Amino acid sequence: MTTVVALWRIPSARLALVLLAGVAFLALFGGALAPHDPLKQYTDDVLQGPSGAHLLGTDYVGRDVLSRLMEGTRLSVIGAVEAVLIGGLLGVPSGLASAWLGPRLEWVTLRVGDTLVILPFTVFAIAVAGTLGNGLQQAMIAIGILLSPIFYRVTRAAALGLRKVQYVEAAELMGATEWWTLRRHIWTKVLPNVAVTAAHATGAALLVVASLAFLGLGVTPPAPTWGGMLSSDLGYLAQQPWAPIFPALLMMATVGSLNLLADAIRDATGATDAPRRRTRSAPSPAREENRDVVRA
Amino acid sequence: MTLVASAPVSLLAGRRAGAAARRTLPALRSLAGVAAVTVTVLFLASVVTFGLGALSDSNPAAAALGETATPADIARLDHEFGLDRPLAEQYVRWVGNALTGDLGRSWFTTIPVADSIRQALPVDLSIAALALVLALLVGGGAGIGAALSNGGVFDRAVTLVCSLLATLPPFVIGMALIVVFAVKLQLLPAGGYVPIQADPLEWLRFAILPALALSLDVAASIARQLRTSLVGELRENYAVGAEMRGFGRRRVLFGHVLRNAAGPTLAVIGLAIPLIIGGAVITEKLFGLPGVAQLSLQAAERGDVPVVLGTLLVTAVVVVVASLVVNLLQVLLNPVARRGGGARGAAR
Repeated sequence: MTTVVALWRIPSARLALVLLAGVAFLALFGGALAPHDPLKQYTDDVLQGPSGAHLLGTDYVGRDVLSRLMEGTRLSVIGAVEAVLIGGLLGVPSGLASAWLGPRLEWVTLRVGDTLVILPFTVFAIAVAGTLGNGLQQAMIAIGILLSPIFYRVTRAAALGLRKVQYVEAAELMGATEWWTLRRHIWTKVLPNVAVTAAHATGAALLVVASLAFLGLGVTPPAPTWGGMLSSDLGYLAQQPWAPIFPALLMMATVGSLNLLADAIRDATGATDAPRRRTRSAPSPAREENRDVVRA
Repeated sequence: MTLVASAPVSLLAGRRAGAAARRTLPALRSLAGVAAVTVTVLFLASVVTFGLGALSDSNPAAAALGETATPADIARLDHEFGLDRPLAEQYVRWVGNALTGDLGRSWFTTIPVADSIRQALPVDLSIAALALVLALLVGGGAGIGAALSNGGVFDRAVTLVCSLLATLPPFVIGMALIVVFAVKLQLLPAGGYVPIQADPLEWLRFAILPALALSLDVAASIARQLRTSLVGELRENYAVGAEMRGFGRRRVLFGHVLRNAAGPTLAVIGLAIPLIIGGAVITEKLFGLPGVAQLSLQAAERGDVPVVLGTLLVTAVVVVVASLVVNLLQVLLNPVARRGGGARGAAR
């Protein structure tokens, strides 16, 4: 609770939380509040600019852009959140286990992580679509699996060495069960790091979902998503060069808020970000750099 | 990929090893570690790739004949492609063939997968290489400039642009480039491709926009990391000392600090290689380039599993090899890693 208060004191976090609350509201109720049917084609008003009837104009088959943005928020956000949940559910327990159980399985789990890290999101998602079928579920499971090594590394880095810390030993001497120490002492240390990573990963997943929609993977066309809208605008750049601005702005606001929130959580809790290998001196200057962003 | 010194090799290090051996053995050991990691990762990547194929329920008859395939057709083609054998046997045969450069035949066109990939791969590799060069130029310049003006206007501008770039999917940046350079200014073509061996200048005209679109993301992370480590290194005693002895800030930066700050930046580049290859998929589609991703996308639409698996495996190999080169560069650049100490430190 104190963390949330500390977070709220940081102006950039407040801005980010408000924006994200707005996006969450759109994701939940956007479809119901949309002024038009997002799939209805007003064939007389194709490729219109913003007007009274269509506040953000219409697309290439005359669908209302504002309604599509509001409805599309749901699928875009749900997809990204699902992928991050899968990544966290796979990565966090395995990271805890690897730090807790010691070096027995460590080499193998690290190599599995290395392998998943080298597979590019888009190429892997195409392969999954080609073998297991094209759908939002398959795409998100694929992205979640590729996100899991990030969670694994962050969790493992934060939990590593905590087993030998005196207060953990003291708790065990006083008869605390392993489960209790894990929950009470380890998890509270690991959680902020996982939160920072989750915020970053959600932003990254939103971008990946958009890229997949651009490739025609994941969500199938008539259903609106931010990425799908952006990519359909691509074909009509000559007629409407400004059309991509609306979905792009919404996406920038969401991903930017998630990044700001991640930085703010880091500042408020002293958590460290995903460990960049071989950059021992990075943490303190990196945090300074992020404060620069906040002030700018 | 991290470097990990492998245990068995250390047994070879005899107690009476001379001074020269003391220098080279750890280096050999870290090289052996790199080799062990590389082989393991390649093996796991092949397992993941093959596993996807094994989990797939599409079959050659359905891919080639579509709805009209009868059970007899399915059985016949499954037998022809060896799909009726046990999975372990299939895997061994697939990997064995892949090692000799045979990735099987497309279920759809029966063209050897390796041939299709051999045709398409140079497109991606040449554009990715150009993108990497651009990213180094743009990102390196921005990072050095930002470190020199630490806290100044240029520093803030670089940080802001980097943060904004990180909030957009890569294809939006590509679209913006198309609008500016192809639609408005009409300077460069919006799509198409000429092979580099046919006409290098014409290739550059077609490749520069895709490469630029591909490079900006990576340039942003290079700029960030380079700025961070440069600022950190400039505070170190040796840099401050050199400056106090009267060397200019630029001289200290280019003469002393840059080499030390390059290590973490190289690590960032190593991590960015999957991003570049993955981004190549997007730029290929955006600019209509005849690359590996187009091949893989078309195959995915038809359920042509051998082509999909072949491209995934080749992509993994390309990324692994590129990361290996970056890793070796890092070892060459950093005396600590060369002595093997950095290798152990990096494992954590």
